[in-house]
Amino acid sequence: MALIETASLSKYYGSVKALDGLDLHVEPGIIGLVGANGAGKSTLLKILLGLLTPTSGRASVLGMDSVTQTRAIRQVVGYMPEHDCLPPDVGATEFVTHMARISGLPRTAARERTAEVLRHVGLYEERYRQIGGYSTGMKQRVKLAQALVHDPKLLLLDEPTNGLDPTGRDEMLDLIKRTGTDFGITVVVASHLLGEIEQVCSFLLAIDAGRLLRAAPISTFTQRTPVLAVEVEEGADRLAAALTARGARTQQNGARVLIALDSEALYDSVRDVVADLALPLVRIQQERGRLEDLFRDAAPAGGIQ
Amino acid sequence: MTAASPVTTATPAGSIYDLGYRHYEGKRNGRVYAMWSLFVESFRGVWGFGRPMTAKAAPFILLALYAFAAFIQLAFSSIIFQSISQPGASTEGLFTYANYYSRLGILVLFFCVAQAPEVVCRDQRYQVLPLYFTRAMGRIEYALARLAALVLALFLVLLLPVVALFVGDVLMKPDTFQAIGSEWPQALPSVPGDALVALGMASLSLAISSFSPRRAYSAIGIVAYVLLMEAIPAAINSVGETAGWTWSDKLFAFSPITSLEGALSWFFGRSLDPESFTGTLTSGNFVVAAIAGAAVATAVLCFRYRRMSA
Repeated sequence: MALIETASLSKYYGSVKALDGLDLHVEPGIIGLVGANGAGKSTLLKILLGLLTPTSGRASVLGMDSVTQTRAIRQVVGYMPEHDCLPPDVGATEFVTHMARISGLPRTAARERTAEVLRHVGLYEERYRQIGGYSTGMKQRVKLAQALVHDPKLLLLDEPTNGLDPTGRDEMLDLIKRTGTDFGITVVVASHLLGEIEQVCSFLLAIDAGRLLRAAPISTFTQRTPVLAVEVEEGADRLAAALTARGARTQQNGARVLIALDSEALYDSVRDVVADLALPLVRIQQERGRLEDLFRDAAPAGGIQ
Repeated sequence: MTAASPVTTATPAGSIYDLGYRHYEGKRNGRVYAMWSLFVESFRGVWGFGRPMTAKAAPFILLALYAFAAFIQLAFSSIIFQSISQPGASTEGLFTYANYYSRLGILVLFFCVAQAPEVVCRDQRYQVLPLYFTRAMGRIEYALARLAALVLALFLVLLLPVVALFVGDVLMKPDTFQAIGSEWPQALPSVPGDALVALGMASLSLAISSFSPRRAYSAIGIVAYVLLMEAIPAAINSVGETAGWTWSDKLFAFSPITSLEGALSWFFGRSLDPESFTGTLTSGNFVVAAIAGAAVATAVLCFRYRRMSA
């Protein structure tokens, strides 16, 4: 059964199109949802949770319709919003226990689960202190804990690393990765930071201006590309000219020359040209695709025209 | 772990310090339980339980101020009994079940002004609402659970001086058991009466509070609404009296303070004190007005949460 399915899903705010005919079919795993600010990530999550009604089209989570079966969906989904959502004058334990009970867990089970989940996200003695005194990193952990406390099947995280320092970011990403891989909970991470997505996710959904840009396993984006990059300290223009003269398709990019790897013989040509021109060579490497290329207007995956 | 525990280990046992993440396979209750949990949390919140000491100050000070006079009367009940037993002594200055609220009800309004924003504004201010609305909790269920908690809190506030007066009056009499028997029918109308007052005040103040995430604005809103709804009918009525309008005094049905006071006096089989109201509306009319007012306020509160974006 598909985890998330949408069919020509659209959401307009007045004349602004937040989502525009989105078709998705997502299988369980750790899924990255990337897009620039305003691309429609939060809108999509809110529709899946039934917080917003789509203007047209339909969406389903675990086979349940987001409009008619909202309650059933919410039983099995945990949501971590992007904004602050914690009252400052209660302790983390008290708050998370309360949220567990709102999710329907009986009193004792709510307490047990709270203690466990808070330990899991890395809050120990400080969990009895008032949340107002927490650092941003600790608050993010409490937000994750409240989303996990009722043991959901699907976890929707909206910008989970917002406002964290590099260490806190890595810890949060590690936590997300463990939650997804060790506990068998499907996680959807919405983010505008591609680096994060690359680090934790197995599948990528890229949306832009409310439309689906790409949906594929993450590895397909970061494979080696048929492009050789040669970096020299000086004389990149002469190198490019000499290689073009030998029939290679090249493109100069500062001190780097990108060469389309049309045949194995190209390696020899590069070696010969560099030796002939006595250029100070820095490195020769095969280019890897980068997620950023997705959002470039230019050719995909480092292609050379 | 005992066998009865609802938590089971999903992964093989690790070290004793790290049990790993365990899935929850125990019971999950439905929406009634969720509402009950929110009700309990809200009720504790009204009194500042589970919050810092400063949060407990306002509700308990206002409760003490409201009940103070009744406890004074209780403390001096024997002296009072002696003085009113004198021939020609007047009991007019004493507090009774029927006049306590109309004399000191302003403190109940203060309690609403202080604590109603505490019940609903925090969730908007700190944006906690999305966490509720993405759980098994409907918006109207949320609003009703919050309302019920404030109604109960106000009801207890209103009832405390009644209990004190009851104890005082019983202790005044020489025969305690006979006194209890003769006293409770007089005190009993306080229960439904105070319940209606609590419902009216709580629904009104929550409906107004729900429109602002800031406590201060909510508090000002409640005070402003109550004062205006007192002043506007009074102003129109004074014009109406000179102009000879027959409808202008009916406008007091829209005034929360007057109509709740009038409704309460109906339970004691009286009409409103002529000092506070001189119109043609009977206290029975005010009961209808109070119930209608509470219904409208509850509807506004529910509508507000239905429409709120989360």
